[in-house]
Amino acid sequence: MIGGGLTMTIAIANRGEVAVRIIRACQELGCKTVLLHSDVDVKTRAYRMADKTVCIGGSSSAESYLNIPAVIDGAIAGGAKAIHPGFGFLSENADFAEACLRAGLHFIGPSAKAIRQLGDKVNCKQLAQTLGLPLIPGYQGEKQDVPSLLKEVERIGLPVMVKAAAGGGGRGMKMIRSMADAGELLESAQREAQAAFGSPKVFLEKLLDRAKHIEFQIFGDASGRVVHIFDRECSVQRRHQKIIEEALSTSLTLDLRRKMGEAACALAQAANYKGAGTVEFLLQDDLFYLLEVNTRLQVEHPVTEEVMGVDLVKAQILTAMDQPVFGPDQMLVPRGHAIECRIYAENPYLGGVPSTGKLGMVEWPEGARRRFEYGFEEGDEVTAYYDSMIAKVIVWDETRIRAIQKLDRVLADSIVFGVQTNIPFLRKIIADPDYIANRVTTRWVDDKHSQPLAIPQMNERQKKVFELAKKRYVQPVNAEGNAKEASVFSNYWRTL
Amino acid sequence: MRLRLEVEGQIENVVIQTTGGVHWFSIDGEVFTLPEESSRSQGKKGKGLGGSTIEAPMPGKVTKLLKAVGDSVIAGDIVLVMEAMKMEYSLKAEVTGTLRILDCKVGDQVVLGKRLCQFEVQPEATASEAPT
Repeated sequence: MIGGGLTMTIAIANRGEVAVRIIRACQELGCKTVLLHSDVDVKTRAYRMADKTVCIGGSSSAESYLNIPAVIDGAIAGGAKAIHPGFGFLSENADFAEACLRAGLHFIGPSAKAIRQLGDKVNCKQLAQTLGLPLIPGYQGEKQDVPSLLKEVERIGLPVMVKAAAGGGGRGMKMIRSMADAGELLESAQREAQAAFGSPKVFLEKLLDRAKHIEFQIFGDASGRVVHIFDRECSVQRRHQKIIEEALSTSLTLDLRRKMGEAACALAQAANYKGAGTVEFLLQDDLFYLLEVNTRLQVEHPVTEEVMGVDLVKAQILTAMDQPVFGPDQMLVPRGHAIECRIYAENPYLGGVPSTGKLGMVEWPEGARRRFEYGFEEGDEVTAYYDSMIAKVIVWDETRIRAIQKLDRVLADSIVFGVQTNIPFLRKIIADPDYIANRVTTRWVDDKHSQPLAIPQMNERQKKVFELAKKRYVQPVNAEGNAKEASVFSNYWRTL
Repeated sequence: MRLRLEVEGQIENVVIQTTGGVHWFSIDGEVFTLPEESSRSQGKKGKGLGGSTIEAPMPGKVTKLLKAVGDSVIAGDIVLVMEAMKMEYSLKAEVTGTLRILDCKVGDQVVLGKRLCQFEVQPEATASEAPT
């Protein structure tokens, strides 16, 4: 290793594209990697890249990625000295962070105490209140029975959001618009929260229905200094799940950026925050409200990395090892505009229902300032056990409009066969004048783009090309690898 | 495979692959999926005749049944709840009538397109059913 690396082994308790991202960061720092994976996650890119792999349990998350003793045992068996939890799964679980320390492992993330203070949405709001940060009206109490929650819904006034106390990402989150189905929605949110995060605890929040989602990347280094690394806008959301994220936000005035950045840092400082985190806000009518804090790496961290020229994953690892990251004189100056979109394995012609199966060709159109974060390649299986995000596409350009143009071309040239993806949906979104003019709120996709796309039909020219392509197509005998080419004729007869 | 074809004097760059009984074909930045000639059933929408059945719109697990055999349903009623990829999906009756056959139970893993239940449609209700 040039200049001496960390020379230790790091376990990755995650899967998919983020596992690949972390493995790469570890390898660049000179660390060995152990991938802790479930039994079905063998044919994945992370599995092929890791130095070692340990199967920690069955395919359901509860048996593997959420199973604390299995993860700890797997990390120790793999000779790891530290665990990176990625995002989702155990990444915001304070008990897990403590279990790591008890087992003599570094947890790459904030302290268990900071997770409890900021990651638990109820505690976080209490802390924010003492700091005088603006909060959305709601209920964060301990009473979790449906009749008590119904009373609170009435008190806050409709529309009301119910959310999982232990998680994010749209899971366990429901919108209550009428008292008639409020009970059913509350129960459903509790079930989803239990299934996704292992705790049925929910809280209630008044719905801001024309708000923008703005978040600040915060970072606490080993010396205790907390900085914010500017903002992202993630207003393009479908059913509360982010689809497209940008850095920086084009909705903030300098004054708002300063105030929100200070609020984000104050909160992180109050919790002695170490490592990467995100403070999320809603912005409506030039007023901002604290939404939640994610005490982990964020899915959309690459857009910040692209405009700021930082490596947040390496910064996390170095901080966990008590090493300095950004130099004391390093100026954090944003440059240009970055956009990320999430590629989901789903059928855009059936309203986005999950699409699973074996991947066919997967090809990303590499180029300058185009970044592809993916966890699966041709021949890998997309299963129904986990989140449907199979990749992220990130582009950077000098201006927002050029980044949008670039993203459209990159998406058009991206090939994912074997499962349906949301790429046609993403292209429709970024071509919408509302999106281009940044007139998007968190409700916009659900209001304007909730209908399934029409199944595209080939025109006469395309049909002719297709017929010719079908004749020229040579089916590999063995799709697994070292493919021998079958004769054109055998393929021809097979497809008759 | 990537192909560079000349059709009527025009060069076309396309990508094509046949896998799982489906031709995947990318042209002009759009992906088309066409069933192989031998397997026409691919791409069929997960809907029953006249909406008198509910079929699984995706592979996943049945997590809740809100109706039992013999129960009457009104179009729009949630009949069952499925979970896939950690999200819940409520499946609603598209018709008004009576639940006659239930093909699944809570905890079942079901494949895409599996029939989950069937209704006996109440004749006058379907006639007056207005699109919402």
